[in-house]
Amino acid sequence: MSGLGLVLTIAKDALTAQQYGVFVTGQNIANVNTPGYSKQSAVQEARRPAPYGGVYVGRGVETTAIERASDQLIENRVMQQKSDLYSYKQMENYMLAMEGLFNESSGISLSSMFADFWNLWHDLSNNPSGSSERIALYENGDMIAEQFNAVDDSLLQLSTDLTNAMRAGVGRINAITESIAALNNEIVGIETIGSANDLKDQRNVLAGELSEYMDIKIFEQSDGSFTIISQAKGVVLVEGNASYEIELDGSAVEWKGSGGNDVDITNNISTGKLGGWLEMRDEIVAKYRQDISELASEFIWMVNQQHSQGVGLKLVQPGSTVTGTYTTTTTLEALDYGSAGDGYVDYTGTLNLWIGDANGENLNQVAIDLDFAGGDITAASSLADLRDSINAQIAAAGYAGDVTAALSASGDAVVFTAGADDTFGFSSDTSNLLAALGINTFFSGGSAGGIEVNTVIGSDTDYIAAAQIDSTGSYGAGDNTNALAMVDKQYSSTDILRWTYDRINGNTAATENATIEDYYHAMVGALGIQSSSVSRGRSFNEVMVQELTVLRETISSVSLDEEMTELVKYQQAFSAASKLFIAADEMFQELLDMK
Amino acid sequence: MRVSNKIISDMTKYNLNRISEELNQANLVVATQKRINRLADDPVGLTQVLNMKSSLSNIEQMGRNIAMGKSWLAASESAQRSVQDIVSDVKQLSVQMASATVGSAERQAAGQNVQNMLEEVVALSNTEVNGRYIFAGSKTDAAAYTLNADNSVTYNGDGNAFSVKVGKDATIEVGADGRAIFQPSGAGADDDIFVILADLKTALDGNDVGGIQTALSNLDTFFDHTNSTISDVGSKTLRMEIKDNVLSELDLSTTERLSEIEDAEITEAIMDLKAKEVAYEAALSAAAKVLQLSLMDYM
Repeated sequence: MSGLGLVLTIAKDALTAQQYGVFVTGQNIANVNTPGYSKQSAVQEARRPAPYGGVYVGRGVETTAIERASDQLIENRVMQQKSDLYSYKQMENYMLAMEGLFNESSGISLSSMFADFWNLWHDLSNNPSGSSERIALYENGDMIAEQFNAVDDSLLQLSTDLTNAMRAGVGRINAITESIAALNNEIVGIETIGSANDLKDQRNVLAGELSEYMDIKIFEQSDGSFTIISQAKGVVLVEGNASYEIELDGSAVEWKGSGGNDVDITNNISTGKLGGWLEMRDEIVAKYRQDISELASEFIWMVNQQHSQGVGLKLVQPGSTVTGTYTTTTTLEALDYGSAGDGYVDYTGTLNLWIGDANGENLNQVAIDLDFAGGDITAASSLADLRDSINAQIAAAGYAGDVTAALSASGDAVVFTAGADDTFGFSSDTSNLLAALGINTFFSGGSAGGIEVNTVIGSDTDYIAAAQIDSTGSYGAGDNTNALAMVDKQYSSTDILRWTYDRINGNTAATENATIEDYYHAMVGALGIQSSSVSRGRSFNEVMVQELTVLRETISSVSLDEEMTELVKYQQAFSAASKLFIAADEMFQELLDMK
Repeated sequence: MRVSNKIISDMTKYNLNRISEELNQANLVVATQKRINRLADDPVGLTQVLNMKSSLSNIEQMGRNIAMGKSWLAASESAQRSVQDIVSDVKQLSVQMASATVGSAERQAAGQNVQNMLEEVVALSNTEVNGRYIFAGSKTDAAAYTLNADNSVTYNGDGNAFSVKVGKDATIEVGADGRAIFQPSGAGADDDIFVILADLKTALDGNDVGGIQTALSNLDTFFDHTNSTISDVGSKTLRMEIKDNVLSELDLSTTERLSEIEDAEITEAIMDLKAKEVAYEAALSAAAKVLQLSLMDYM
């Protein structure tokens, strides 16, 4: 090909090349707002020159490829940072819900209820026979119990919500990995003949969404396909055109390998929404649920231990029974508060049983000794052993049948029954046995979920023990000895466990010596610190994601001003190429006109 | 750096979002006038706030306990002073009746008078505050003393004086075992005021001058004893008042500290809000300008 024909060919190629340019510019303009779209550009190259009359002349232009402005390394960095961000974002949401449970600025907080509880014991000590003081105290005790129950319930609910969120998240993850595997297949097919720009963009968008759910690592293979593995134990999610599912088995997250070998990755997922949900459920919600239960447990014991030392306005009435609220079918040690080591029961202690006449007067003392020679009570004794020992000691004192110990119908609790003309009460329990059995106690239950006001008090507030039976067997309606002792409990420190939950290293507990209120306040403070550090993490990662995104957009996103300039550029080049035709045409004409 | 349309709109969104978040926070502080609106705002401060609120609640309760204790002490003091007044009157009467110039009829009339005085002392020993007998130990629901037909008395209370809590480690007895006040050396002893008065009545009725003179010296002993029990009540009242003052001071200083931690400095908060408002407006108007710029307007 030579001569003027070459000029025509060059003009034709130039027109085609400028059209490609306009196509690509049009595509860019159209996708200016498409998420994940990477700016494309046509690559124009001068054709190889050919010899013509002894010199090499250029042979015009050709469009060799349509390139996509994208840097996969930066895309991956953005994804990784987003993975962190979404973990914090989810945690922040749930943290806000948790803070609401411990909202101390509202009137119905545990902190103010504790303060009221002690104040009401003060009021009772000021007027021990007052029925309004007794009712107010019962109501407040009931409110505290309900608040503990409500906090426990809500934390459990949060935990369930988180598992449900994970179930939905896992479903989405599986849908995404499946789509990526399908895209891998298409891309590999197209890449053998051209470039699969738009599909790659789509795949990046999906990979981005996947990294919002969990921490992943992406490797781009030479054939253009993505291999995606999870940072959790390095399990493969996508490889070529195959994807592997993960599933929720109960509360555990499992990776389903080929051939049915499941791998539990619950504790290894650290970022992404899934990581945030898991950390929230297994470390934060679980820890505070345990802590509040430890608090409830020690609060119950503290109040019950003092309450069981006292006596109400009246003794247990003739013919009536008192049933222990704590149960065991094996040894005494198996009672909620039956162990000897934790400052609960002293199996070498003593207590006084006082037996009065039908009017609750003229009290006679029966000293009950846990080391009684005819029936030693130890941590390994059964309830039946205890019953026999107590009955033997009552008989030894000469009051057999006036008060009888027995087992409940189900055999797992102790029942004391007053004779038809007898009444009874207790005092000076150095063994704490009564509090451990749940006899003459204020609360029943042993955890935040189980705490309730003892039904004995619920049905008759006269049994709130403000008084104590003194060493002469006297007790008065105006006696406030036990109420004053109870009031002192608000200042006394006790050992309460504080837990640290860690999915990797396991859960550990440390003993904290604090008053009930101090422990609770420190717990609320710790929650606040955790919440603010989550919020800080969220805003830090937001800035990071923002900066990396700007970096990504600097490379990949469409600038309309730029595209307008390009459009004008290609338009003008198109006009010039058209002029080339005219020029070539005129030159042909002149040649043809020569005769 | 290459700036694309997406960068401009993303940055605008991000910045407006951030500033409006700050604006919202500043607005919340002004609206609630509290520095701490959620746990995460200042967890350490919040823990202090909770501790101080508990202390305040305790301080207020102690204040109520003290007020109640003071009313018991006031009633106790006034009852004992009245008893002392009666003892003075009886002494004066006895001095007159011990005189040789007084006849048996006059002594008998005085005897009736002394009977009334005895009944009055029994009534005073049964002084009540809010329906509770303050001299009956812990058995505050029953009258401390009942006067029998033979002018002897029966004590119905017990030996545990009623106490109130006035501080973390302080309880003060505000009620009393009546025997410690009216029968200091035990029932039937020489300084048992009920026995003194009953014996005096018998002596007057029996025209027994010797008996009247014995009563006179016993009245003196009892009078001295009452002085010491009254001053005991006085010193307890003083202790209560000191406690009360300390508590008021503590209440005030704790409330101040609470306010320092919890409350927003309002001028500062409003200045902050204004500054955030200005920043937000500036960001809005800048965004409006930048977003409109386009090459197409010049083609």
